[in-house]
Amino acid sequence: MPRVAYNDAALTIWTGGDSLKLIEGLSTNKMTDLAKGEVRQTIFTTTSAKIIDIATVYHMGDFLAVQTHKSCLEQLLSQVLPKILDQDVNIRDVTDMNSFLIEYQLEYENVGHFTSNSGTTQAFIAHGLSFIVSTLDVVHQIDGSVEEFNEWRIQNLIPWIHHEISSKNHPLAVGLSNFVHPDKGCYVGQEVLARMISRKRQGKRLTRVVNGEVDEKFISTQGKTHSLAIVRQN
Amino acid sequence: MVCAIIMDCGTCETAGPVQVMTPEVVDVNLSISSKAQEMLSDAFGDDRSMALLVGVLSGGCSGYMYDLQIVEETDQSCQEIKVDGFRVLVPNSSSHLLDGIEIDYVDRLMGGGFKINNPNAESSCGCGESFS
Repeated sequence: MPRVAYNDAALTIWTGGDSLKLIEGLSTNKMTDLAKGEVRQTIFTTTSAKIIDIATVYHMGDFLAVQTHKSCLEQLLSQVLPKILDQDVNIRDVTDMNSFLIEYQLEYENVGHFTSNSGTTQAFIAHGLSFIVSTLDVVHQIDGSVEEFNEWRIQNLIPWIHHEISSKNHPLAVGLSNFVHPDKGCYVGQEVLARMISRKRQGKRLTRVVNGEVDEKFISTQGKTHSLAIVRQN
Repeated sequence: MVCAIIMDCGTCETAGPVQVMTPEVVDVNLSISSKAQEMLSDAFGDDRSMALLVGVLSGGCSGYMYDLQIVEETDQSCQEIKVDGFRVLVPNSSSHLLDGIEIDYVDRLMGGGFKINNPNAESSCGCGESFS
């Protein structure tokens, strides 16, 4: 299956008994029931429900490995760190000690779980998509291109950081409603998202369009014949 | 460490912790409205050895949530304030968020109960339990 480098990935290690509870309170998905060996994505949002970053959380047993993005890490930590207060949470940034890859077009997978061996952890994120985190001494073959990966994303309507997933958008507008838990209780941005869901007014939505079908200003990922666009719902 | 064979978690190397800027502990001033005092008197009865713990938790729609409890003691590092005869405990870790608050009581069928009026809050959610 094709593999491409995931150069913007960041990895932080969260230790302490309150780590999952802290993430639960600051992001959109249900996290407190995440078990060892499972991986789950959740979205950190602002009080106005705009996206700060999407996080992929690996439950490693003694700690959580939280994969986010280098370009968003400063803002994410400025949201998270003041909220630790008295809680048992410690965070270390180990981004520079690991390498990151994306593997896609997978046919057989165990979505929501990860496997680990020989310095490499592979998480199965969604249908056909996985993330690989490795120690720096592991050498991987990179045989895919960003253009091909984007074509695959367009085909499968998969949003990506700084294309669809950005601070301009809320999770529902970019096809991330699977990671917005409907009844987990309060979290930052929940009021806004709950109102959108209950009133069935999500504003914009992610859609695949034939090139030229919509104005270029709505295009979030440009493909050869089709593109991803975020357009207002009729 | 188990993690070393699956990814580099940094525990075996020298990855330092992300620096948390711990806010300065503030000597908290707070007030309790007369209606809130009435309700606290009902809750405490004659036993004023109990204390009202006014804390802050992470979460809620705006990032922080108020946490009110009646306790005898707490393990948290707190400052104890006497307000109108009531013992009030405020955790030092959240003192910067609670200085200047007024504890009020709103008497209505829906959304009633103890309310915190907080001059430090830039915004708060509809139910009033959460602020940022």
